Amino acid sequence: MALVTDTVNDVTVVTIPGEVLDASNTRILKEELAGVLSPGAKLVFDLSQLRFVDSSGLGLMLSSLRQVHNTGGDLKLCGMTKPVRALFELVRMNRVFEIYATRDEAENSYAASRRAQP
Amino acid sequence: MKALILAAGRGTRVQPLTHTIPKPMIPIFNRPVMEFLIDLLASHGVRSIMINTSYLASEIESYFRDGSRFGVEIGYSFEGQLKDGQMIDEPVGSAGAIRRIQDHSGFFNEPFFVLCGDAIIDLDLTTLAAFHKERGAVASLAALPVPADQVSSYGIVVAGPDGRVEGFQEKPSQTEARSNLANTGIYLFQPEVMEMIPSGVSYDIGSQLFPQLVERGLPFYASQQPFRWLDIGRLSDYYSVLRMTMTGGLPGFTPPGTEILPGVRVGPNVRFNPRACRLRPPVWIGASSTIEDGSALIGPCYIGPGSTVMSGAHVEESFVFEYTRVGRMAQLRNSIASGRFCIDRAGTTIDVAKADLDWILSDARSNAPSQFDLEPLMEEFLISR
Repeated sequence: MALVTDTVNDVTVVTIPGEVLDASNTRILKEELAGVLSPGAKLVFDLSQLRFVDSSGLGLMLSSLRQVHNTGGDLKLCGMTKPVRALFELVRMNRVFEIYATRDEAENSYAASRRAQP
Repeated sequence: MKALILAAGRGTRVQPLTHTIPKPMIPIFNRPVMEFLIDLLASHGVRSIMINTSYLASEIESYFRDGSRFGVEIGYSFEGQLKDGQMIDEPVGSAGAIRRIQDHSGFFNEPFFVLCGDAIIDLDLTTLAAFHKERGAVASLAALPVPADQVSSYGIVVAGPDGRVEGFQEKPSQTEARSNLANTGIYLFQPEVMEMIPSGVSYDIGSQLFPQLVERGLPFYASQQPFRWLDIGRLSDYYSVLRMTMTGGLPGFTPPGTEILPGVRVGPNVRFNPRACRLRPPVWIGASSTIEDGSALIGPCYIGPGSTVMSGAHVEESFVFEYTRVGRMAQLRNSIASGRFCIDRAGTTIDVAKADLDWILSDARSNAPSQFDLEPLMEEFLISR
């Protein structure tokens, strides 16, 4: 299954598919994400379809963040459902990621930081 | 006077709390909900109490035993059977429970209270008994007004100006509702009601016995005396009750432990250096717990006996069950946590095993989980951001 991505200006929004992200499918998703985790990428993961994430799913998001971060890019999240939000708060990952309510807000945050740069 | 406490339900609406304990045993600090009811009954001179049990019956029976510790005498009516070494639940309904006890011994030979075992109340039972007697009622119930926009969450009682019950509406919409009086599940009966409860079948008070009383025009009244009714119908209700207890809002409740600093109470055998932690009272730490240096306890919070709060963990306005290991990366805010689950104030539940979160929450009696691979990476990000 190909990932649904949407690139506007230089920001790529990736819709994380399915309701569940756990040990059964993180490996496949990791392979699919390889293409978008390019050096310096400005990414948004849209999590609005996800209802359940386990530790391996969290691990995938964290390793994705590290990968783009190390090359000057960033990864922001949007559209979290209540159970996913509760999980992020419990494991403190709400302080690792920039999290936005909507896709637009996440995209705009990149535009705002662009404007802020000299 | 006598009483029956209904305690046979499965508590499906408050799972996962009720996977290992029946609903009446849900703890408020160190005391199960039902203990508050037994204390209330005892304080109004009710000494002879029956409890019907079924689901996880032994959890209830082994705690309350014969009742002497609570100044009352308690008997159990077990609804089920032991088959091939397994307890099989066979609940008979709330009215069926009354009938079963009556058929056994004729126990209900005087007016008797029936209370649901899963709410905390401070109803003046003596006043309810006087109300019942003055009207010559065969049945009385305690009703409480609820806001009009919440009637759809309750069984609604329709009563005349003198309190006589005219009918019931089960969770009506706001427009359909003919009253805003909620049935709180607290009843007082004369033994005569027994004639209307069939033997040997499952029978319900609210949906079967009460309509009969109304239909036959028997004296059946709704008292409207004010009282506090803390019903643990949903997980979010449980958080509210705990929060209220932690902030001193539960009258007559003495918090456990010895005060070692203003607002900081600990049980015996606790390993804890208050100066090495971030601390905001009120905080309670149960016996034999370990609070590692470098953790944060931001009150009001309660750490159950035998728990470990690891260095770096953040516990804020939360209630932690006994034998819970709270991991270094854990950030509990407005939550109820155990080694098996975490429930936030809105009732959103995380299943710890399913989400593979033993590095965040685990049973303190199990071996400490290996460090999660991503912990060092998370720390790096947490410092940089």
